[in-house]
Order: sequence, then C-alpha cells, then structure tokens
Amino acid sequence: MPKHDVVVIGGGLAGASAALEARARGADVAIVTKLHPARSHSVAAMGGINAALEEGDSWEGHAFDTVKGSDYLADQDAAEVMCKAAKETILRLDHWGTPFSRDEQGKMAHRPFGGMGMPRAYFAGDRTGLALMQTSLEQLFRVNATVYEELMAIDLVVQDNRFHGVVAYDVKSGAVVEIPAKAGVMCTGPAGRMYSKTTNALTCTGDGHGMVWRAGGALKDMEFVQFHPTTLHGPNVLITEAARGDGGILLNARGERFMTKYAPKLLDLAPRDITSRAIQTEVNEGRGHPGGYVDLDLTMMGEAKIRERLPEVWEFAEKFAGVNPAKEYVPIEPGQHYIMGGIATDSQGATTIQGLWAAGECACVSLHGANRLGGNALLECLVYGKITGGHAADYAKKQPAPTSSPSALQNASRKVDALLKAKGGANVQRLKEEMGEAMAAGVGVFREEDGMMRALTSVRQVKKRAQALAVGDSGKRFNYALIEALEMENLIALAEVIAYSALLRKESRGAHSRTDFPQRNDVEWLKHTLAWRRGEEIAITYEPVRITLFPPKERTY
Amino acid sequence: MTKVRVRRYDPDRGGKPYFQSYEMDTPKGRTVLDVLREIHHHEDATLSFRCSCNSAICGSCGMRINGQARLACNTQASAMVEEFGELTIEPLGNLKPVKDLVVDMGPFWGSVMAVRPFLQHKGKEPAGLYPVTKAQMDFTKIARDCIFCGSCLSDCTSREANPAFLGPAALAKAFKFAGDPRDDTTKDRLLNYSKENGIWDCDTCLYCNEVCPMGVKPMDAILHMREMAIGAGLVNTQGAKHALAFHDTVMEWGKVNEAVTAKNSLGIGGLATRNTVGILARGAMTGKRPAILKEKLAGMAAVHRLRRSVEGEKRRRSRG
Repeated sequence: MPKHDVVVIGGGLAGASAALEARARGADVAIVTKLHPARSHSVAAMGGINAALEEGDSWEGHAFDTVKGSDYLADQDAAEVMCKAAKETILRLDHWGTPFSRDEQGKMAHRPFGGMGMPRAYFAGDRTGLALMQTSLEQLFRVNATVYEELMAIDLVVQDNRFHGVVAYDVKSGAVVEIPAKAGVMCTGPAGRMYSKTTNALTCTGDGHGMVWRAGGALKDMEFVQFHPTTLHGPNVLITEAARGDGGILLNARGERFMTKYAPKLLDLAPRDITSRAIQTEVNEGRGHPGGYVDLDLTMMGEAKIRERLPEVWEFAEKFAGVNPAKEYVPIEPGQHYIMGGIATDSQGATTIQGLWAAGECACVSLHGANRLGGNALLECLVYGKITGGHAADYAKKQPAPTSSPSALQNASRKVDALLKAKGGANVQRLKEEMGEAMAAGVGVFREEDGMMRALTSVRQVKKRAQALAVGDSGKRFNYALIEALEMENLIALAEVIAYSALLRKESRGAHSRTDFPQRNDVEWLKHTLAWRRGEEIAITYEPVRITLFPPKERTY
Repeated sequence: MTKVRVRRYDPDRGGKPYFQSYEMDTPKGRTVLDVLREIHHHEDATLSFRCSCNSAICGSCGMRINGQARLACNTQASAMVEEFGELTIEPLGNLKPVKDLVVDMGPFWGSVMAVRPFLQHKGKEPAGLYPVTKAQMDFTKIARDCIFCGSCLSDCTSREANPAFLGPAALAKAFKFAGDPRDDTTKDRLLNYSKENGIWDCDTCLYCNEVCPMGVKPMDAILHMREMAIGAGLVNTQGAKHALAFHDTVMEWGKVNEAVTAKNSLGIGGLATRNTVGILARGAMTGKRPAILKEKLAGMAAVHRLRRSVEGEKRRRSRG
C-alpha cells in the first residue's frame, strides 16, 4: 500500500474531520475504515449537538454543565476547548451545507437536553448524526479524499513507543497489508458490544482501543460506561433524549411519573446516569412491567409533532415495537450506550504513543468524565477530530519519510492465518453472548464488589477459551467470521479493563454507581484511572483531574 | 420452521450463483437480519452479508428480500413469511454481486460522485449562519434522509435498461443541492443533470419512492428538477423538449398529438436519424398507429380551466 503523511483510522465524524483538517494543512492523508464512512456509527446519533449560541448563554455555561454532568471528573481545560469551539463548529457545518432545523424566521431551532442549564442542542430533526455525517462525507467527496474502504486495521506499527503506521486486513480481497505513515489519528468510535444490551452498532467493537492497548498505550477511565435510559425494550434500539426534550415523560407500570422522586427539578430531563438508575430502581423494586421495562409517554405531543420532530422515533416505535407513539406508550429500558473512557489523551488529543492522536468516542480526552451529557458527543467528534487532524499534519511535516516494517506485517499475517486455519475451538458468537451477559449483570447500571468480581472472572474465562476459536470460514473475500474473531480480541481486552478498573474504584461517581460505596469520594477518588498492559496483566496508575474553572460541588438536579 | 432461501455466490468456489436453503425459526419480533446472523453464527459461517447499526440508519444491509429491495434489519421475518410463505434473500439488483449478498457498491458511489454532491457557494460565506427559513429548507426534505443503502438503485427500472443512468439516489442527492438556497450553482447543476443519463432519463416508474426505507422520494426530486430546469430556461434538451411538446399539443388539441410531439421533441433531423418510417410501419401493422389529430377536443375550455387550476395550486404551494 502507498505511504502517507497521516493515516486516520475510522471514517466517522471524528475521522472525517481529522482527515479534512490534515488535508487542509497540506498533508497527504488516507482514511482507513473497516466499513464505508457512510456506515459509521456517527449516523446513529439522533437528538442534537450542543453550542451556546443563544443570547444569555455562554461557553462558560456550557462548560459548567458539562463539568457538573461529568460529576467533576472531566478535565476542565478540555471542556473549555470544546465549548469555546462549539460556535465556530456549528457555523462551519452550516456553511458546508448541514440542513439544521430552522424556524419560520430562519433562526436555528434548538431543544433542551438532559443536564443542560439552557436549551442548546441544535438538530436536524432527530437524524442529527446522519445529517452531520452526510455533510462530512460530502466534504470528503469535494476534496476527493483518499479513503480505503472495507480495510480493517488490525494492529498499529509502533517501535520504541513511536507510531509508524498500521497493518490491516483487506475485507474485499483477504490480503493483509501495511500502510506506513508518519502520524496517525485513532477515530474508531464506540466499543459497547461487550455488553448484551447496547444501542451500539454490531461493528462497535473497540478496535482502536484494542490496537492501542496491544501497542502499549494507556486506556483511561474505562469503568465509566453510560447506560442510555431510553432504549427500546428488546432490540435496544435508541430512543433519543430529544423525545423527552420535546415533552415526553417516563411512567412506571403503575402509571406514576417517577422522576419527581429522583430529580425534582429537572425531572425527565435529568442526566442519563441519574435517569437510568431511576428506571432500574423502579424495575428492581417491582414497579416496572414484567420483563423489566417502563413506559415513555409521548402521546401528549400528538402525531403531527412526533412525525415532524421525531420521525426516527416514530419509525422505531412502529417497526421494532409495533407501537403507535401518538396513542400508546413506548416500552423502554436502559441499555449500554457510550463509554466515557477510552484511549488516554491529553487536552489536545495526543495519546501516550508518540505520533498518535485519538478523537471521538474511542478517545478519553477527558471531556465527559464520569457521565457524558447528550449533545456533547457529536460536538466532541467535530471539534477534536479537527484539532487532532491538525496536530497530526503539523507533526508529520517534521518527520522523515515513513518506513515499512516487514515484521509487523508478518505478525499480522500470522494472526490472520492462524484464525483461518483454526478448527474445533469455541464459537465466537457464544463467547460474545456469554461475556455480554456477564458484563450487563456485573458491571451495569448498579455495581458492587461481588458482582464485578464474578464479571471479571467470567471475562477472564472467556479470554482463555478464546485462545482457540472456531472461525468456520477459511475464505478470502468478505470473511465476516474472521472479522468477528479479530473484533473479539479487542472486546475481551476492553471488557477486562472495564471490569477491573470498576472493581478498584471504591466510590460512586456519575455512571459508576456502586451500591457498596454509594457516595462520591473526592478525597480519595477525584482522579483518572489509567490502565496499561503488562504482558497478560493489567497495571493501573492514577492521574489527577485538571480543575481550572469550577471547584467540585455536590451534584443535584 | 421457515424455509429461508439465500442466493450464494463465491467467485473463489466455482463462481456460479445458486440458492441455498436453510430451515430457520421466524417468530414475531425477529428481523431478516436476525435470521441471517443466526445462520452465520450457528449454521454456516461462510455466508457473507454486510450489516452494522441494526437500527435502519447506516444503510449497510440493503438486499432483495422476496423480490423487493429492503433493509434486512428493519424487515420483520414473520411479516414476509405471512405474505410470501418463505423468505427469499438475494443481493441488491443492478449492482454486481462479489460474494453472496455483498455487492460492489462502486458504481453506486460513482453515480453519487457524478452529481457534485456538496454545497457550492461562490464568494464569501456569511459571518453568521446562512439566512434561510424553514420553508426554504423544507423544499429539499424529501431528499435529505438518504442512507445510501442502494435499495432505490436496485429496483430502478431505468437503471436496469440503461446502466449509465445516474439513478435515483444520486439524483435525490443532486436535488438536495439544486434545491438548497445556500447553493450558488443551481443553474449549472440543472444544466448538467439535464444531460443524457440524467433527470430526463427516468421513466417515472415510482419504484424508488416505494422501496426507500427512509421515506426519501427520489422520483419527486427528479420531477422537481425537471420543472426547475424548464423554469430556468433550460429547454434545449431533448427531455425538456419532449415534455414541452406534450404540454403544447395538449394545450392545443386537448390530448397528446403523437405526430407533433415526436416532431417537436426530436426535430426533423432527429426523426431522420431514427427509423421513423419503420416504426410507423410496424405501428400500422400492429394497430398501434398514432392518431393524426385533425380536430380539437370538444370542451377545450375545460382543459384550460384545469391548467389554470393546476398552475394556481403550484403557485400557492411555492409560496408555502
């Protein structure tokens, strides 16, 4: 494969932004994606993107809400970077052609979102992620960007903790190839598929996290896993927070509006961690429906308004649940949705590996701390994609031409060959399901010592059995059995880090809610968890939180 | 148990497409994608198909299910079985299969690229947001939610007849920009889209509107662009001439005068280059000779009333 100045791994919103910025700075950039950029999970983001654009609002207000939402674990200098860049980002996307929803006078429409002190989520119907991704894709088309589609990165080429490129599996031909590059940006998105109930795409398998992990880089705050309160009961398809932003309310099986108990002020628009716990508590205490779900009532909106503002919700309710949301309640339950943690970076997106940056959900810049607010993920992708793409391009300018690494290519080929030839081992899907159940049960909405221990033990057993997998397909082209086996290695590594990091953090903060340690403990635990691979073991170190603007306070809504 | 027939194809193993049957459970709530994944995970790992979001938004799993392009992830298997008695799953049409249900999307993206699918603004961008109203933005709403799944292209009869035809997805994308008040190249776009294989080559069969899983209406987008092209004075294309010839003969005679329409659409030169005499002779033999109208329809006043009413309605709509 040709050499490049910058290789961006992942073609979603963060990846496209990184590639566009690196290119604008004159770098020769290639995007490597195991899908096609249009299939990236960014398209699934629904409700909105936050920015302080209204009169009376300010980036400080946005930053404060973000930090408070994070339960004070966010690095405040990073939150400042993102919130300050929000306005410019929305303008850029509008100028690129994103069809943001507008009112009759041409003003951009916005809606309230969970945990925000002001309504500041801008949107394109409830297909905001799709609209932003389309625009980014259009810009990639405009500059005729180099995109290697259906090329799955397997491992990073790193020598002496310095990035030199990636090795990848070509889904179309079955070839294992190397793409040497001076700099890299990881934009591989979510990793939620180690949970049985998740809104994440089937392909959200933490490949970027896994590659960095194996290359010796650090993962940060992986114990902080967001459970979205409103996923459709059963298929766990996402029902956007915008449904509540636009008036929807939650009811238990007795028809009681239970959020009055848990968040007397913000009610149904409390942050996601609080709302998920409220639902789970109602279910655990017997006030849910049999099967473990509660109701989302949208009937007061009426058909016209739901169809206008929440067309996707309408579709999902109808097609996946057989429910008419103008007349019936939508059955919902919490489901894994987002991981606040990720590849450890500084406030400029630089990872612990020289020449490698990370942006978007796979990164932990740390903007979201212990709990992310709705509408901040799309913004992060666009802002930090651009920042890291710029840094990678500038860095590449000062580097010598990239060199090939025959040994890295050889190792990757061996890995693929071994899987293709494997016979009689464990079924990948069964192992994945087993791990998913264990993680949901032990490291879910509520956690305690024994449950987390059990989950960790299960994950370690899965890891052991996964050393011999039955792939079942030795074909060259579009071998999805092989891809799933490669993804499984990443998922297992991350599940172990999540369970282990969670077990060690003896407090409750944001989405990490322990029944055995129900209080936040700033004295001992106002710090980031860093996980490092030491052979087959996990080494944990801690790092202070950067507090610049807002001293930690009690978090009530 | 339901019989699930899947079209298989592997150029590395024989290379001839064939149907393979599986017996699978299809209880209520299980989607076609669930069924395929069940086969892939527990029956036959060699079966290849694309999928990702499982929420009908990424566009990966477009395929032909019981004869029509659909997304596997939001198609209930039981509903298909109820209607057809079994499940038949094939790759998308009008695109080349490369392995089982996986098709080469290259030509699809090639068509999309051909319409210059990005906003083109001349001069300086505004300091703030573009001043556009909801009504202005809503004009292109019918083209906006495309997820590039390829369903419309798969079932497009014009693409089937003419593989060079840009096809519904690309033209819907084209309309997204041709109809966007922020784009400054509307006329250039319309001129380009009016060329061969563009907006005038759609035979308006409506399948694209019907199969789109996102409610996009490519055919409506194409019709809008035809009107916009004529409105912008781009009448020197064969498609526009044809449409205007229809309009003019109806306005004059009250119905289509095929002889005049053909002459006005193609011109005398155009008629000469085609085998006009042969076509007429064959038509005469099969009784399909076009009527040579000599007289106007009785009640031409009603025809013109109808025209005024349609034009009034259009003006009313364009004002929002």
